[in-house]
Amino acid sequence: MANIAGIDLGTTFSELAILNTIGKPEIVPNADGERMTPSVIFFDEDNPELIRVGVEAMNSRYLNAQRAVRWIKRNIGDTKYHKTIDGRDWTPVELSSLILKKLKQDCSAQCGEIQDAVISVPAHFDEVRRKATMDAGALAGLNVIGIVNEPVAAALYYATTRDVSGKVLVYDLGGGTFDVTIMNVKGRQMDIICSQGDHELGGIDFDREILKMLEKSYKEKFKSELINSEEERAKYEDEAEDIKKTLSRRPVAKKMLYGPAGSMKVEITREMFEKSAAPLMARIDMLLEAALDEAKLKTSEINKVLLAGGSTRIALVQNRLEKMFGFPFEATVNVDECVALGAALHAGLTMLREKPQAVSAGISSGLKDINLTDVCNHSYGTICAPIDKETGKRIVENRIILKKNTPLPCEATGTFYTVSKGQAALEITITQGEDSDPKYVNKIATHKFKLPPDRPAKCPIKVTYRYDINQRMHCKFEDVQSGTALEVDFCLDQNGQVSQQKANRMKLLKVE
Amino acid sequence: MSEVEISIVFIAMAAAIVLFPSLVKNFKLPLMPPKRPQNNIILFQKPNPNTLNCRVQLKKDEQDDCEFEFFDVEICGAIHAPDDMCHTTIQISVLDITDGSQKSQPVYDNSKKPQMQNSDVFCRNADLGKLPNKDTTLPDWMSVAKLQCDWMLPPHRGKRNLQFTISILSGQDGQELCNAKYTLTYVNPKFGYIDLQENIQRTKTLAVAIAFAVSAADNKLYNCEIELIKNWARNNIDVSQASNKAKDQIEKALKKIAQFFQSGYKVDTDEICREIVEIAPVTERYEILELCLQVAQAKGVATKEEISMLKNLANRLEVDDNRFRTMMEKILPVTIHQVKDMEVILGVRADMGKEETCQHLNKEYRKWHARVTNSDPQVQAQADQMLQFIAEARSTYMESAKQ
Repeated sequence: MANIAGIDLGTTFSELAILNTIGKPEIVPNADGERMTPSVIFFDEDNPELIRVGVEAMNSRYLNAQRAVRWIKRNIGDTKYHKTIDGRDWTPVELSSLILKKLKQDCSAQCGEIQDAVISVPAHFDEVRRKATMDAGALAGLNVIGIVNEPVAAALYYATTRDVSGKVLVYDLGGGTFDVTIMNVKGRQMDIICSQGDHELGGIDFDREILKMLEKSYKEKFKSELINSEEERAKYEDEAEDIKKTLSRRPVAKKMLYGPAGSMKVEITREMFEKSAAPLMARIDMLLEAALDEAKLKTSEINKVLLAGGSTRIALVQNRLEKMFGFPFEATVNVDECVALGAALHAGLTMLREKPQAVSAGISSGLKDINLTDVCNHSYGTICAPIDKETGKRIVENRIILKKNTPLPCEATGTFYTVSKGQAALEITITQGEDSDPKYVNKIATHKFKLPPDRPAKCPIKVTYRYDINQRMHCKFEDVQSGTALEVDFCLDQNGQVSQQKANRMKLLKVE
Repeated sequence: MSEVEISIVFIAMAAAIVLFPSLVKNFKLPLMPPKRPQNNIILFQKPNPNTLNCRVQLKKDEQDDCEFEFFDVEICGAIHAPDDMCHTTIQISVLDITDGSQKSQPVYDNSKKPQMQNSDVFCRNADLGKLPNKDTTLPDWMSVAKLQCDWMLPPHRGKRNLQFTISILSGQDGQELCNAKYTLTYVNPKFGYIDLQENIQRTKTLAVAIAFAVSAADNKLYNCEIELIKNWARNNIDVSQASNKAKDQIEKALKKIAQFFQSGYKVDTDEICREIVEIAPVTERYEILELCLQVAQAKGVATKEEISMLKNLANRLEVDDNRFRTMMEKILPVTIHQVKDMEVILGVRADMGKEETCQHLNKEYRKWHARVTNSDPQVQAQADQMLQFIAEARSTYMESAKQ
């Protein structure tokens, strides 16, 4: 039987884990023997068909930063972003697929074919980004059987390996994203209560604050810029990261800066770092508070805090957490690996549900009794035209039908009414988002629904949204009087099918 | 008001007078109901038993804990029908004769009841039943209709002489058998239909003045701002019936107003807002504020002075704080604010305590956080900026609270 894998496709590092014969997840090292693969891509200058992913790509940045790509996860789902290399435009999906291909390739060489996989994504990722991640997996030759939220994956791993119970908060601060998930854990039963996430808050943002301090110090002394090329920037980004890691162990970090105007020694203290990172910490605090509000819980009602993501090693982060919750957090697992390990468990559970015949007895036995109930990650609604009570005028508004954090599977209904006499059709828009202003929500589908002719205004239209545990959404718009209905189904791989031609082209590329 | 201020107001009025010659006689600050001549009203004259008499009294009643005024219409006297047992109907119509019978004006129907004809003029019909004899006499006053005052829309606010005409019609052929009139003085508390029309145009004139005031707030009027205001004026002030000459005059007036503000003169925006609140419904006040926001946005940067004036205008126009901020978020994103004012952008007031401030910032954070994954890159950029600003505001606030 082919291996079942879980992949943490991270902003800065990626990992792959598979379920062993007894259903326990294990990280599979890459071809270099490393358990974590840097999510960095470098397009070889001499051989355009050769693409490096990982440590080599990381180091190659110093030679030609223009041919390197980092942090591509921050652009996944952005249709306007592309990286041009040798006249070819690479999309975020294609670039992400190179990282996944590297992981698949390296791990398949060691453990045998890897086919079915679950890829983890930040909890706040919308449908567009989730689909894009699945597309990247498909392009890399994987059969992506599901997407799991990163904090959920981490919690799954913690709950199956440690004594965890009660109201649990998973604090996942990675390289590029920050997610919080609150759940109820009772033995092997896990019920998600809510999730919140920030797409631009991670270790690299802390690094940037340090880099700003280095640049400022240099400019103050020499009245000249420290960084004059992308290669120098690459170098000092790594220096800044190094300083951040040092400050987690020591109160002060010292570095030599070699700029065009001269060299200088710079000292960054923990206090200086904390001061410059204060807005980032404020953002983290507000997200935490938002999650607690959504869960209708106070900090005192949280029984356990689980950490995930390498950036949770930052002393400032740890101190703030202890202060906020009043007790030490759980960090007995490797915070860099728990997401991939949990994703592998999630992959096993998904296979057991959908293709039990493909799951070995050992794995089935290892996963038995694990039960996870997830929630709707976003609110879903429709555009309507009610009358504004204050002005008496008709306005256009987004009305939520299926609320965020509703446990899956779920269904919700709303009744709306036609506006005018003789109304011949309705323009149906399915939205995703929390706002009542249509400008601020994503319109994920628009359809025209023909209505029976010659009717008065205010005919009822029943709208039902259903979301199942496999993240498939079913929307039904029913004209109550005539019984006619418009039904729209969404699936994560709908519209995400990659063309065969593209997949073939990607197969031919050599990734090392 | 000082002499300088008075002359400034007159200059502004002069420009407006050019715009709206028809409004000259009504051009006063504040808006005063005009004095009208009084007719001789004889109340409760002894009825003539040989003819149909009517009287109307203003009364009060209560329904569902709501008090309302109504006209109680009564008749007495003689009704001459063509036959015994003649079926009859009663018709009540109302005219405004405040300016004299020769210059009577219609009273419109303000209720939602169906009309006798396709007309908005107030008129009510009711079935009187069959008269027992050809010559029927009603010896005592008999109430035949209770008409709520707010069903009627006279032409103007204030003291109005309303003439009620009660006609008894034959049920067979609709012929009038007899009629009686009664005139009542009624103080209309609401704007009349002519007042409403005038108010609409007046509001637009004042809107132009306010918009120019916003443009001039930073002591510099940009061409893009002036053009925006002029275009708004052209699109909103009804010139469809005006001649080409009048349209030219309007253009000249707009140019004059612009020059007035470019010369450094100011207007009393508080006084203008006070009048707008008096005469304009909330929808129009929102439209005025929207125009002012667009003026501030026109050159791509919203200056500190413009923001300050907008804040004051929103307050004076009695626009809810949250509504104002919602409008500002859309039209004046934080990216173009010259100075990032926490109160204006985030709604954090100086009188808010620590917990209230934190809760408020959290609420703003949740709002913008939900927008950060929007597919529109401009919305995304705005949301990102706002989140950064909120985080800075919170960390600054927490730091100062510690001290």
